[in-house]
Amino acid sequence: MSVLTKQAPGAAAALATAGGGKPRRGSSRRTNQRSGYLFLLPWFLGMLFTIIPFFASLYLAFTDYNLFTEPNFVGLANFQAMFEDPRLLQSLKVTFVYTFVSVPISLAVALLIALVLNRGLQGLAIYRSVYYLPSLLGGSVAIVMLWRYIFGNDGIVNGFLGIFGIQGPAWVTDPEFALSTLIVLNVWTFGSPMVIFLAGLRQVPSMYYEAASIDGASRWRQFRSITLPLISPIIFFNLIMQLIGSFQTFTQGYVMSGGTGGPADSTLFYNLYLYQKGFTEFEMGYASAMAWLLLMIIAIFTAINFIASKFWVFYDN
Amino acid sequence: MKKTASTPIPRRIILGAAVTAAGLALSGCAGASSPSSGGNVELNFVYWGDSNRAKMTDAAIKTFEEKNPGITVKSEYQDSGPYADKLATRFAGGNPPDVLNMANRSLLEYAQRGTLADLKSLPEIKLDNIPATIQSRGEVDGKLYGLATGVNLIGMVVNKTITDQAGVAIPDDKTWSWEDYAKFATEVTQKTGGKIYGAGYDVATETGPILFARQRGEDFYTKDNKLGVSEETIREWFQYSVDLRNAGGYPPAGFFEQIGGSPAQSYLAKGTVASQIIPINNFRGYNEAAGGNLVLLRMPGETTEKRRGYSADPSMLWSVAAKSKHPKEAAKLVNFLINDVDGAAETLTQRGVPINPEVADAIMPKLGTDDTKFVEMVAAIQEDDLPPAYVYPKGASVVADTLKQLATEVEFGRVSPADAAKTFLEKSNAAINK
Repeated sequence: MSVLTKQAPGAAAALATAGGGKPRRGSSRRTNQRSGYLFLLPWFLGMLFTIIPFFASLYLAFTDYNLFTEPNFVGLANFQAMFEDPRLLQSLKVTFVYTFVSVPISLAVALLIALVLNRGLQGLAIYRSVYYLPSLLGGSVAIVMLWRYIFGNDGIVNGFLGIFGIQGPAWVTDPEFALSTLIVLNVWTFGSPMVIFLAGLRQVPSMYYEAASIDGASRWRQFRSITLPLISPIIFFNLIMQLIGSFQTFTQGYVMSGGTGGPADSTLFYNLYLYQKGFTEFEMGYASAMAWLLLMIIAIFTAINFIASKFWVFYDN
Repeated sequence: MKKTASTPIPRRIILGAAVTAAGLALSGCAGASSPSSGGNVELNFVYWGDSNRAKMTDAAIKTFEEKNPGITVKSEYQDSGPYADKLATRFAGGNPPDVLNMANRSLLEYAQRGTLADLKSLPEIKLDNIPATIQSRGEVDGKLYGLATGVNLIGMVVNKTITDQAGVAIPDDKTWSWEDYAKFATEVTQKTGGKIYGAGYDVATETGPILFARQRGEDFYTKDNKLGVSEETIREWFQYSVDLRNAGGYPPAGFFEQIGGSPAQSYLAKGTVASQIIPINNFRGYNEAAGGNLVLLRMPGETTEKRRGYSADPSMLWSVAAKSKHPKEAAKLVNFLINDVDGAAETLTQRGVPINPEVADAIMPKLGTDDTKFVEMVAAIQEDDLPPAYVYPKGASVVADTLKQLATEVEFGRVSPADAAKTFLEKSNAAINK
């Protein structure tokens, strides 16, 4: 084996390009290019599987496709039907409430925990993992099932309330509480923004704090005037990512309600309704149109955020 | 790729690419039935159910393969929810299974879109012994698109240990009315000091109102595949549970959480309710889970209402895909599933009472006490003069979902039974056959 084989392909390619000229190098350069493309192959294939359905769904959004027979072009009928669909409005309401309540709370919690962990605790790695773990599992079926048990009538939460003589509500089956239970679940999975906050906090030069301490600034003042502005790009990034993720929530609602969006449509997330339309009601055309509406909603909210960011995100160049 | 293989570098890359390619191939072709060489035909057979059902089905398939050399059966099973979704996707993707389980509520949808084969056109399937009433449940526009996997009914089970301790007599199920059931349930709750609720049935599942509507002289789904149930009947179905809850016989709102649907996870097994409506082919499972002292009863109102609520209801159907590459072999498998005594000896009453009476008789000696009780009850009921039942219309899944949603609204007092009934009819009629 040549030395090159032991290097990462990117580095190898860079070396080969830099070296160029000599015959032996040339052949290995071609080989490296080939292996470079080979490495890229999965990405190209992946893109193929994204781009084709992407355009297919755009086309299907304007048809009455029912999964079984050939789609017929129906123009804007699907989009018009959306305005008269009460369940669609309900699913939008559920998704918006979920997003606008859980995203700010989970970002605040993530920042708070990151600030605490940033103070150089002993066993930091362990804490970081412990807090991060729920994020990895948050959208998984097992965790949602676990959540159902925790908040069930005979679950830990109501058992705990029972100690104080409080009869806890039916967290999972009462339409008044089912969505709140899922919001709590989402807040609990604050780990991934937290890890990013932690990385951001590490970037803030300590000399600012030293200078501020000398000037007699309180901790709160330091946080407001140094930390917040300097990590505002990180907050912005987390906000955008959480917002997009939250708009696309599916698993939690699906598993919690057994696929129905119940009780009484209180956890009928937009994507869950889209899924029902496509796969249980066989209205794939309508479902595709819904997907495009979601894309537009996400695009609009992201654009608003980018515009608003000019007023509060501070880049320290 | 082969060229690069000669260089020392990309061994791992090749391996990775090969794995990726294999993964793609697998995901693309999973479950595809392809005629393999050597004259051996592989059938893809899919159904829904749990591992216990799968175990029995596998044993039957083995018998089928022994009897039909040259045919191998590759089977897959899932829970009913994901099963329905996956089935739709597979048909849409042009990759249907050969033989499949079809739900009553989906039959018309699939049949009218030309995805299923007419079973009468397949001579391998012998229909001589199959009663016409049963065949009619799979008939659409004069063609036979599904054959019942078995006959199954709903029934009431009561935990006699609880009623004995509470000192409550179980009413005679040949004559009892819905009122009798309410009185009985309320008495159980009272005499157990509210620790055990007398009634514990599911308001939201359509089988209840279907039977209730028949008893009141209406067809929930009519002969011409429409919604035939009246607003009044739905209102009373909801009102009954509200009254029973107010009287104390039925648990408070939010009590029922559907965490798993197995008998072992039921409230009957937990001992917090004394009675429940179940599909009676599960009688054995519930009885085992609840301690072995369950009594199987006919539904209330069967002799006190306008007409009978029971009918020849299939639990589910067998169908063959219109695009099956091996229709002949697929037909052989369906024939085996409904007519073969040796096959039935493995699956017994897992999917209801076999629809071929000869097969049903043949397996009787092999059944345990509980299953015998269930089959005998089905047989006794089928001897009576029962009203007909019809194929579910298109959009029946929306009807089922709407019922579920409204039942919750009524349960929590957010909507009155009258308003719920009105909404139910509006939404259902809008969804049916559109």
